[in-house]
Amino acid sequence: MNVVAATPLLIMSGASVLALVLGVLPLGPRSRWAPALVAAAGCLATFVMAVVLWGERQVAFDGNVRADRFSMLLVMIVLTATLGVLALAQREPSAVDRRAEWTGLLMLSATGMVLVATSGDLITLFLGIELLSVSLYVLCAVEVWRERSLEAGLKYLIIGGIGSAVFVYGLAFLYGVTGSTRLSDIGATLSGASLTGEPLLLVALVLITAGLAFKASAVPFHMWTPDVYEGAPSPVTAFMATGTKTAAFAGFMLMFTGAMTGVESDWRTLVAAVAAVTILVGNIAALLQTNVKRLLAYSAIAQAGYLLIGIAVGSIQGAEAVLYYLCAYTAMTLAAFAIVIIREREVENGDTLAALTGYGRVRPWAGVVMTIAVLSLAGFPPLSGFVGKFLLFGAAVEDGMTWLAIVGAVGSAISLAYYLRIAVVMWSPVPDSEPAGRKLLRMPLAGAGVAVASTVAVVGLAIFASPLIRMCRAAAESLLAP
Amino acid sequence: MTGVPLAFYIGLSAAMFLIGMLGVMIRRNPLLLLLAVELMLNSANVALVGFSRHWDDSAGQIFALVVMVVAAAEVVIGLGLVVATFRQRIELDVDQLSTLKG
Repeated sequence: MNVVAATPLLIMSGASVLALVLGVLPLGPRSRWAPALVAAAGCLATFVMAVVLWGERQVAFDGNVRADRFSMLLVMIVLTATLGVLALAQREPSAVDRRAEWTGLLMLSATGMVLVATSGDLITLFLGIELLSVSLYVLCAVEVWRERSLEAGLKYLIIGGIGSAVFVYGLAFLYGVTGSTRLSDIGATLSGASLTGEPLLLVALVLITAGLAFKASAVPFHMWTPDVYEGAPSPVTAFMATGTKTAAFAGFMLMFTGAMTGVESDWRTLVAAVAAVTILVGNIAALLQTNVKRLLAYSAIAQAGYLLIGIAVGSIQGAEAVLYYLCAYTAMTLAAFAIVIIREREVENGDTLAALTGYGRVRPWAGVVMTIAVLSLAGFPPLSGFVGKFLLFGAAVEDGMTWLAIVGAVGSAISLAYYLRIAVVMWSPVPDSEPAGRKLLRMPLAGAGVAVASTVAVVGLAIFASPLIRMCRAAAESLLAP
Repeated sequence: MTGVPLAFYIGLSAAMFLIGMLGVMIRRNPLLLLLAVELMLNSANVALVGFSRHWDDSAGQIFALVVMVVAAAEVVIGLGLVVATFRQRIELDVDQLSTLKG
């Protein structure tokens, strides 16, 4: 039996279990970095395997798990996000308190994301989405002494549970229509037979769109996002914003661009409508926020809308644009959250805009990181956020969905208002009524490293865009390969 | 095919799904919300088993087993969180959980 294609999954699950077990072994205080080291080593080993497996599709476990350029690119994005969050969490109280559980759950969630990316079957796809969600429910509530964290966990659990139930009900109907749970067989059935307009299939499409929209925090299933993003510990929020989004869009691409490409005319308008509403609602609601984590939550909703444009287009070009934008989005989101996390350790209510006032003057490099991150999120040229949006909107125009590109452009224009506000606040003078508690701690090296590395990536992904776009193109083509 | 026709499976599962959905929308106690979510997940199981018989293919039943395991895991986490919330003496009513405004 060929298990080579499943090695990323096996290494990740092994590392997460090992990290958890290290917590119960009586190793003494000197081993307190052991779980994080095991997790980092697991991520690096998986990354190497992802590079090795980059190529033609290989399958394992009778086709339940597959490794091709598409899944390996997504695995690399997920692993980068995981490594970044591992480093950012080093000073987080909940993570210091329970290192093994924290790291183990983070790794389990990352394993779920890897499973989504490498799944070749509805069952493994669902299992991956659940593995990542269930671990995140616990991680959101991990600061049990803090009421907001518990609330965030409970809310995420209930709303996430509803999303999963809707999603799996849609998958059940898709299975009912096609008679197979294998993605490739579903693709073959749907493109061969004339199933367009079949009522059961339409029900399945609506339910699957709704279920994935819950996970990707797209309107109208976005209500949980601001609350959970604000209440969860910030590194967990950063992980949700990057990893979960990547996994949700991996699901979107596998289901829509990949398996259901034969009935494209059935779902294009639906996904396009969701995208348009998501862009507008996310951007307008973000204007009113004063908490940076909440603001970034609404920004994450709006970004999900931009990404959905690439799904609605449905072509190789659309998938290519989504993949590129996911790389860029992960880098810029990690950079923005790194600054929030560093600031949060220094002052009470460090996640408000007020706490960031003048921070760029005190710590110029942090100001530069945040400014580049928000400018890229807003889509300023020549940063990678701009390149990504250019690809997404370009794919929409080329495919005859100019109106969607216009909605995206209008949304980006609105988003300037709140993104620039963050940049302005960072560089405005330090207020005189400085609270006494305001102090500067010694820089956490790991956090600063993540912030700087992500910023370099935001710029670098734009400068070296063409090789990355070629990679994304190859990945998108392998998605549509039979 | 002999036995229960497919339409009955779909009808039962749709009814369960809608009852669960209604429960999610009108109930406010987290325990009852979890119960309603379970009902929705199980409606998918009924549909999966029905389709599995229709196509004479075992994948649907395997899927249903996986969904059961996932549902169990979700309930365990949910009950754990409810107990933790109770220990903090936070009101067990999601409308009262208003520190974070939705």
